[in-house]
Amino acid sequence: MTQPERREFAKQTVKWGGAALSLLTVLNLPSVVLGAGPGMGNPLNTIKENPFLQRNDLQDALKSLYVTYDSTSPYPHKFNDVISKGQLECLEFIVSKGLDKEYAAHYVATMTPILLRVKQMVEKEGPDKALQGMFEGTTCSYQLMERIDVKQGERSFPCPYKQALENCKKWLPNRFVLEWKDVCSKLCIPTWTGFAKVIGVNIAVQPGETCIVKLA
Amino acid sequence: MKSNDKPLLKDVTDSLKNGEDMSRRNFAKKLLGIGALSSLAVSIVPEAALAWLDGGFAQREDLADAVKELVKTYSDTKPYPHKFNDALVKMHLRNLDFVVRKGIWKERAEHYVWTLGVVVDRHIKKGIEMFGKDAFLWGNFERTSCSYQLYEHIEIKDGERLVPCPFKPILDQIQKGMGTYQITWDDVHNKWCIPVWEGFAKSAGVGVKVEPGETCRIKVL
Repeated sequence: MTQPERREFAKQTVKWGGAALSLLTVLNLPSVVLGAGPGMGNPLNTIKENPFLQRNDLQDALKSLYVTYDSTSPYPHKFNDVISKGQLECLEFIVSKGLDKEYAAHYVATMTPILLRVKQMVEKEGPDKALQGMFEGTTCSYQLMERIDVKQGERSFPCPYKQALENCKKWLPNRFVLEWKDVCSKLCIPTWTGFAKVIGVNIAVQPGETCIVKLA
Repeated sequence: MKSNDKPLLKDVTDSLKNGEDMSRRNFAKKLLGIGALSSLAVSIVPEAALAWLDGGFAQREDLADAVKELVKTYSDTKPYPHKFNDALVKMHLRNLDFVVRKGIWKERAEHYVWTLGVVVDRHIKKGIEMFGKDAFLWGNFERTSCSYQLYEHIEIKDGERLVPCPFKPILDQIQKGMGTYQITWDDVHNKWCIPVWEGFAKSAGVGVKVEPGETCRIKVL
């Protein structure tokens, strides 16, 4: 083991000192190192201002997720399992009573106060806010659709009902006469177009396994 | 022997060797508080009834979407802290508001019971025959996604389940934020939860007593 010579020590000092200086320089780039871009607020408060990290009810959510995704037979359950099946069961009943138009109108009417708030956002920030308010901005959609692909003026997502309806027909025989196209034409399209009308925009819906909703 | 019996029967011998092995059969045994011989009977409950907590979690390839949805939900704290059951609760409330306005809530509850009666006939009745009345609550609460995706947690006692009412806080929020629903919290008990549970109980050949509240208590009679 040799003692570091003075020259070697100086070399190391310059090397590491330089690195330290470089690091300090980087630290002076707040948007990179501090993650504090425009409007991000005080980075020292990041943890305590993060709403997710402040929740103390996550254990129940994780347990529900675990039980759901550990149930893989007779079909793999997903987080939207019950909402899609429950919606189909109710729609089956409503259609059997011939009340589907009133049902969709009721959905739109009960959502109108929120839709009018979305309308104000559209007036300030543009029509894409209408799709945001109808899809990724509301639990009613992002807890129903497994994922939502966001493009300017367009949203697309896997249909949550097709597989659920197949499962219902298979595992609850003789309980569903509803067809997939009924779900599109008697629930999704009338409610979304109804929402869009209140918001003050026009949309076009292309139903499918991947459903596409565009501003028209 | 049915194909689905094999691993279950194997579980019986394995768990005798491995003590606290959390096999599917063992889990059912723990829930129902039954002994090893009775557990053999679990093996003849149809496969679908046992296909729950079946160890498939680690093999799932769609967990990313689920985790993203969970983070998105629990980051959504305004105007109130959203939970995983938010949209499901709202769907039930909206549907109830519609059928109550139309005066068809009773038919709707009967339709729901009739639709899911297949499951009661296929699984729950057999469970009750084998393990007693607690199997009715097992089948209606912790065993079904219809409940474990709706209730934030389910407290399990022999012959009794307690759940935090998922409807009250959301109904309060809706009335405060929008005021567009006509139903009251009492309607939720009397025109949805109680008729549905009583309907399932009748189909299964048992009775239930429901004590509604912020913590709802359901006892099998």
